[in-house]
Amino acid sequence: MRGATAIIKKEIRSYFCSPIAYVVLGVFLFVMGVIFAKFVDLYHRFNTAQQFGQAQGITLDKLATYLYQNMAFILCFVTPFLTMRLFSEEKRQNTLELLFTAPIREIEIVLGKFFSAYTLMLIMLALSSFYVFFMVLWGNPEIKIIAATYLGLALALACYVSLGSLISAMTSSQAIAAVWTFIALLFLWLLQSLGQGITASWGPIQWGPTLVYISPLGHFNSFTEGLIHVKDVVYFLSFTFFTLFLTHRVVESNRWR
Amino acid sequence: MIEVKELTKKYGERLAVDHISFSVKRGEILGFLGQNGAGKSTTMKILTGFMPASSGTASVAGFDVFDNPYEVKKRIGYLPETPPIYLELLVSEYLDFVANLRGIPKAQKKQKMDAVIERCQLGDVRNRLIGNLSKGYKQRVGLAQALIHDPEVLILDEPTVGLDPKQVSEARGLIKSLRSERTVIYSTHILSEVAATCDRIIIIDRGKIVAQESINSLGATGLTTKTELVVQRGSESVVQAIRGVKGVQNVQCLSNGKERIIVESDASEEIMAEIAKVTVATNAGLIRMSPVQLALEDYYLNLISGKRGISI
Repeated sequence: MRGATAIIKKEIRSYFCSPIAYVVLGVFLFVMGVIFAKFVDLYHRFNTAQQFGQAQGITLDKLATYLYQNMAFILCFVTPFLTMRLFSEEKRQNTLELLFTAPIREIEIVLGKFFSAYTLMLIMLALSSFYVFFMVLWGNPEIKIIAATYLGLALALACYVSLGSLISAMTSSQAIAAVWTFIALLFLWLLQSLGQGITASWGPIQWGPTLVYISPLGHFNSFTEGLIHVKDVVYFLSFTFFTLFLTHRVVESNRWR
Repeated sequence: MIEVKELTKKYGERLAVDHISFSVKRGEILGFLGQNGAGKSTTMKILTGFMPASSGTASVAGFDVFDNPYEVKKRIGYLPETPPIYLELLVSEYLDFVANLRGIPKAQKKQKMDAVIERCQLGDVRNRLIGNLSKGYKQRVGLAQALIHDPEVLILDEPTVGLDPKQVSEARGLIKSLRSERTVIYSTHILSEVAATCDRIIIIDRGKIVAQESINSLGATGLTTKTELVVQRGSESVVQAIRGVKGVQNVQCLSNGKERIIVESDASEEIMAEIAKVTVATNAGLIRMSPVQLALEDYYLNLISGKRGISI
């Protein structure tokens, strides 16, 4: 795994050598900050209204759930910017030859690329945890639920990044990689709503529930409620492994095509 | 050191490399000559393990490229046509990355990097962004990348394309300095370059090897060369004298101001020496004697045009 480590080191250096990492981190934290402020404001208003008996009170945990569901969706927009360059940039600069003629295995290239982008995403996730700090400071949230949510986010990001690297491996244009990654992630999210409206079935296969199951949304939502189901963990991990396997195949095919 | 047998590569229907076989001895510099698209790069890509062949075998240092790519890759330094550099990194960061990819142990890394920076004369740009360097420097960074792990075999794909004349001669000097310690395969479509640096050439045209010679034995294969002589006076007697030299095929006398004589003869140093000797003996006042064209150039053009039926 020496090659993978070398690639991770170099990729992270490259991210911070260009403005991309700073811009993406900055914009993400800003947008999440705005949403968090809105969320605090909402919390305050609901609780004031409750004092006068005008509305149902809302718990901090419920609002944290909304906050993180928003975050998971916003990450769909953020991921393409970090994964688009992974392979397409190598193709454009003709540097794949360097990686392929070095004494390392192809799987190391794929894992190196995946983990470099994933590490950056995890750094971003860690930085967003300052909301938790504020919530603990002025409220009384259920920390275990938030911990489960962060686990869910980390797993969801693994599948976003793997999908991003797969698409990046298929093109030599960063822009095309970004657009298609975004479309693919959005489509996966929408499968949830799409699936709910479908009642058709083909033999024993229920189309509706199948589509719902393929979408990461439902799997992620149970984490935000503090539930860690094995099936959800398995879903995210198998999604990531399968996509990385495909990436490996695509990268390999670059050599003989 | 390098054995290639019946190597074939097809891109779809197109045959890029057609059953070629050759071998390179340890310490030899082999020039790979051919027009653009003749199959030079493809052969090199196969040798480096970048690309699998359609059929045939290739081995480097006794290891088969297809069965044991890991061992082969460890022993090869490769500079592709476009240097594989990351524009956003500093030269030192880039070389550090390559050293890590190559698995150079930490203890030796600094020393190896310094050595290769020294050898490729990159000291001045060590801490500059690769993206801001000139083409010549980028090429040198690419070469440094290929040399950093002290490979036994060096494969260079058109290493002097796009360099200015000074840089070309520096690059040639660098490649020559590798002679005997390393085996080098070197592709180019510039003839004078092969003559200046290589021990042996392989000329490849449309995927096939059309000639395989050592540079010195080129003269012995019945090639002709043209020599221009300039004398002060009495060119007729000089022409007569030169006609008498064995191996001279044709002598022409041109006059424009100075007396110019073009001699066509077998390409051998003995004949040249003899021509000079008889010319001086006629007391015609020899001013200049110079080759008109490189023998290699004629040879090459004959081979290529012969195949294609184009008159040049």
